[in-house]
Amino acid sequence: MPKFKKGRVGIKIDMTPMVDVAFLLLTFFMLTTQFKPIEEVEIVLPSSHSPIKLPESDVAIITVSKGGGIYMSVDQQNLRVRLFGEDAKLKASVPVQISELKNLLVLARITNPKLRFVIKGDREGEYGPVMDVMDIFEQTKISRFNLITDLESD
Amino acid sequence: MAAVDTAAPRARGKHKKKHKMKRRLGIRIDMTPMVDVAFLLLTFFMLTTAFSKPQSMEINLPPSETKVEVAESNLLTLRVMEDNSIYWNMGIEAPQKIELRDLRKFLTNKNQENPKLITLVKVDRKSKYNTMVSVLDEINLADVRRFSLAPLLDQDRKEVAKAAG
Repeated sequence: MPKFKKGRVGIKIDMTPMVDVAFLLLTFFMLTTQFKPIEEVEIVLPSSHSPIKLPESDVAIITVSKGGGIYMSVDQQNLRVRLFGEDAKLKASVPVQISELKNLLVLARITNPKLRFVIKGDREGEYGPVMDVMDIFEQTKISRFNLITDLESD
Repeated sequence: MAAVDTAAPRARGKHKKKHKMKRRLGIRIDMTPMVDVAFLLLTFFMLTTAFSKPQSMEINLPPSETKVEVAESNLLTLRVMEDNSIYWNMGIEAPQKIELRDLRKFLTNKNQENPKLITLVKVDRKSKYNTMVSVLDEINLADVRRFSLAPLLDQDRKEVAKAAG
């Protein structure tokens, strides 16, 4: 052991700017954040070149999973309660049967006429279930709807 | 040495006085825990935030009650089969196979030839959803405004089987 202990050198870095930036980002993210809805099923989206963005609000998403299961989710809580009862108030999406979808769509439309309907299908899934959903759209006279896709660039 | 002398200089001013000036009291608060928490929250919000709204493709389908008579020469049928292959035919001609990557050019050409063309897309239930989206995407890219979707019937399957040999 050396006789003289070297005095420990305390390196001090001024962290203030970093902390400032961190807080700035923090406030930014806190204010802009919209929580990702918890997915009932994982969906791999198909890709398209369509640049249209999904509207921010007033959307009802009909999810068709890879196995053909159908889930419905609406972004407003009161509408959700109206459609699926009090239990579903905090649920992101509710599994529905194809037979009850028609009534749900009609009820949803009556409650909120501005509602836009959107189909979110899995790219590997079969077209059949999606076709059934579109059939019901047609029956309930929803002639304008969107398909959620990923943006493909080439 | 890299040590930073943080102590305030003892005497400042033009004239040095004999009595000691009171040192300025630096109150230091250890900010580390606060900064830690801030970063934790920052990462949390960064990870949970859903930034971009997903893209979407808009479809306008004609209502089911309206029946439109279409001349056969103005009708282009696209059929997507079970194995995701695509066949096209005009009116009552025999279906011919087409690759997805050629579809856009083909549709653009056809629509330039005949501006009154109406495209009917028939998709098999068992084909992949992705194929249907791709076909619709090509239709949109080819700027085809008038198209409709229809289910693929057994008759269509037969026709395609006959044409494919």
